[in-house]
Amino acid sequence: MDVRLQISMVFHLDKCIGCHTCSIACKNVWTDRKGAEYMWWNNVETKPGTGYPTKWEDQSKYNGGWEKQENGKPELKMGNRASKLINIFHNPSLPKMDDYYEPFTYKYEDLFDSPEGADQPTARPISMVTGKFMDIEAGPNWDDDLGGSPVYGENDPNFKGLTPEEQQELFDVERLVFFYLPRICNHCLNPACVAACPSGAIYKRGEDGIVLINQEVCRGWRMCVTACPYKKTYYNWSTGKSEKCILCFPRLETGQAPACFHSCVGRIRYLGGILYDADRLVDALKVDDDKLVEAHRDIILDPRDPVVREKAKENGIDERTLEACERSPVYRYVKEWKMALPLHSEFRTLPMLFYVPPLLPVMAKTDDGVYETANEELFSPIEKARLPIKYLASLFSAGNTGQVSYALKKQYAVRLFKRLETVGDVTKEVVEHALAECGMDAAEAEAVYRLTSLPTMDERVVIPPMHREEAMAMLDDDMWEQKGSAGFGFREAPVRGA
Amino acid sequence: MRTVMREQFRQSRAGEIAIRWYLTILLVIAGTLFAADRARGQDDGAKLFETRCYSCHNIGGGDKQGPDLKGVTERQSREWIEEFVKSPSAMRSKDPVAAELFKRFSPTIMPDQTLSPSELDSIISLIKNLTSKNETFVPSGAKLSRAIVPADIVAGKELFAGEIRLANGAPSCNSCHSVNGIGALGGGTLGPDLTAVNIKYRDPELISILQAPNFPTMNTIFTNHKLTDEEVVQLFAYLQNAKQLNPTAAVVPTQAAATTDPGFLILGFAAATLVLVGLNIFWRKRSHGVRKEMVRRSRI
Repeated sequence: MDVRLQISMVFHLDKCIGCHTCSIACKNVWTDRKGAEYMWWNNVETKPGTGYPTKWEDQSKYNGGWEKQENGKPELKMGNRASKLINIFHNPSLPKMDDYYEPFTYKYEDLFDSPEGADQPTARPISMVTGKFMDIEAGPNWDDDLGGSPVYGENDPNFKGLTPEEQQELFDVERLVFFYLPRICNHCLNPACVAACPSGAIYKRGEDGIVLINQEVCRGWRMCVTACPYKKTYYNWSTGKSEKCILCFPRLETGQAPACFHSCVGRIRYLGGILYDADRLVDALKVDDDKLVEAHRDIILDPRDPVVREKAKENGIDERTLEACERSPVYRYVKEWKMALPLHSEFRTLPMLFYVPPLLPVMAKTDDGVYETANEELFSPIEKARLPIKYLASLFSAGNTGQVSYALKKQYAVRLFKRLETVGDVTKEVVEHALAECGMDAAEAEAVYRLTSLPTMDERVVIPPMHREEAMAMLDDDMWEQKGSAGFGFREAPVRGA
Repeated sequence: MRTVMREQFRQSRAGEIAIRWYLTILLVIAGTLFAADRARGQDDGAKLFETRCYSCHNIGGGDKQGPDLKGVTERQSREWIEEFVKSPSAMRSKDPVAAELFKRFSPTIMPDQTLSPSELDSIISLIKNLTSKNETFVPSGAKLSRAIVPADIVAGKELFAGEIRLANGAPSCNSCHSVNGIGALGGGTLGPDLTAVNIKYRDPELISILQAPNFPTMNTIFTNHKLTDEEVVQLFAYLQNAKQLNPTAAVVPTQAAATTDPGFLILGFAAATLVLVGLNIFWRKRSHGVRKEMVRRSRI
C-alpha cells in the first residue's frame, strides 16, 4: 500500500445555476493576460451541448486520453512515443483557434469619440488576437450564452447511445431540458498531459496531487493539449508555452479556497483531501469501461482506517493532514455515499473532480393540449426523468446506468425524507421504501441533506494544512541546499524565446 | 608533403621503376609548389605562363581556346594588355580589337585574371623573348607522374563521381561538372560538361589544368586543395576516355551555360509536389477544425 494525498473536488450539479461567476473569478485572477484571452481554466457548459472547445468529448476528433490495449495497459490515444516523435513538429490533432473561439472585445471608444450624426454610434467587435474588426461567430458555450441556435445542443457527443426519437424529445417544447456543467482541470491520478509532454515540463505534485506545467521547462510542443481529453491545457500564443489550471495553489497553501470555489454563488463546489493507494492504480485501469467508476472508487482509502493512517505517515503525510481528510466532504460524496461520479471515466485518466449528477425538475406533459404538471407521485421517478439516464451515464459513468441511477435515487430519497419531515404530505412507507432502495438510513439521509443544503464554507472547503516545509523534505533534494540556492525564483516575465 | 609522397609511393603499382618515378614526382611537385613563390619573388615567366595561361594560350604554337600570344607585345601596348588581362569582358565593350577577339573565339570568354604588375611584366618579357627568338613555348611541368594503366579509368570515374574522396579535401568534380553517363541525375551544371574535354584541350594543357586549374571559380578552391599526382593521372585517364564512350558529345565552351536545364527545373517542381502530396497523405487524418464543419453540416 502506497498511500498518497490528493486534493480532490466535488461539483454538485443539482445546485449549479450557471451564472459563470466561477469563470469570471478565474479569468480575472489568472487569464486576463496577452495570449491567454481565449483560455478558460474554469468554464461552464450547458448540457446538452458541445462544450468548449467544440465537441471536446469526441475523441475521434481530438485523440485525447488513454485507450486500453489488449494486454490491459493504457496507451495514449494520440499514439506511442514513435508517432509522437514523427509528429513533433506537426501535431495533427490540435484544436483550431476557431474550435475554442476567437477572443474578442469591442471598440468602446467609438461610443464616446464618434462625431454627432443621425445614428447612434456602435462599438464594433475587435479580435483580441489580431486587433482587427471581426465578425463574432462563436464563444465558449456559444448557443446558450449568446448564440441561440439549436446547432450546438443537437451535436452533443453524448447522444451517441440515444435513438433519434429520444434525441428529438429532448428539444421538444415543454420537454426541453438542460443543465450546467462547470469544468476545471481534473488533476487526474493518471494524467495524460504529463505522459504526453516531450519536455517533461508537466508534473503532478507529490504532496497534494496538483498537476502543474513548469513554465521554465515547457517548450510549447503542445502534446499536452492533444493528450488531455478534457482539453484543459491551453497554449499561450504570446509566451509560446502551455498553461493550465493550477488549482490556485498559492491560495491553497495559505489556507484559502481556490478563486472559483470561493466565488461560487450556488455553493456547489466542495474541496478536500483524499487518500488513495498508488500501488493499485495500474490495476484500476485494467478493468472494462463499465467497471471503471467502481475501480476508481476502490483505490480511495478510508482516512479513519488505522492501517491506512500508519502507511500514510510512513509516506510523510502529517497527522493534521489526515485529520483534514477525515472531514473531507469529497470523501463523503464519493466514497461513503457514492453520489459523486467522475466525468467521462472512459478517458482513463482517473479524474479527481467528481460530479453529483443533477436531479432534474418535475416532468410536465401535454395531454390533448392540456399542460399537466401533476404526477401520481410528488416527484417524478428518475426513470421518467427529462434527461435519459443513458445520457447522464455517458457523461458520468462511462455508460454504466446503474451508477448514475443510484446517485439520483439517493438524492430522490433524501428529498422525500425531508418532505415527510417538513411538509408531511408523503407517507412514511414511501420514504422508507425509497431509503431502503439505496440502502440508506435516516442518519445518512440527514447528513446528505445537511452537506448538500446547509454547509458552511469550512464544511465545503476543507483544505489540508499544506506544510510546505514538509513537502520540501519529501523531495529527495537536500533541503538545506535548496534553502541556500533557491533565490527569488524567476523574476522576469515569461517571454517567448527567452 | 614527403609523408604524402611516401603514401603514394606505397600505393604505386609500378614497383620496379618506383624510385625513379618517386624522384620525378618529387621534382614535379616541388617545382609546382615553388612555381608560385618563385613567380612572385623571381618573376619566373615560364612557370607563371604555364600555370596561369598555358591551358588556353600558347606562344608560337598556334591558337588554342584563346589566341596565340606570339607577337602580342608588338601588336598592343603594355597598358592595353594589362587592362585586357584584368577584365577581358570590360574591354570587349570599349575596344574594337578586343571585341573582334571575342567574336573570333566565341563562345569562350577569358576569365578575369589576378596578376600583379611584376608578374605581368615577367610574362610579357617571356613572350618578347620567345617572339624575338621565334621559338615555341614548351611547358616543363605538364607531364603525368606515371604511365596510364586501364585501372586508372575506373579509379578516375570514382574520383570524378565522388565515390572516392579527393585526398586534399577538394569537392569532387561532379559537384560542378558533368560527363555523359555519370550518376542518375548527371553532375553539376555550374561548370561546363567535360565529356569532350580531351578534344577541347590537348594533353599537356589538360594535365596543366588538372595540376593547377586557373579558372576563377576553381582557382579559389584548388589553390589550397590541390589534386595529388596520382589523382591527376586517374582523372586524366578518365576524361581522356570519356569522349570515346560518348562519341557524339559536343565540345562545351569553358564558360558555364547561363541558362538552367528546364528538365531539371521541372524535375525539381515534380519532386516538391510529390513530397507535399506525400505529407498530405501521411497527415490525412489531421484536424481540419471541428466547429465550422459542424455548423456547416447542421445548416444543410
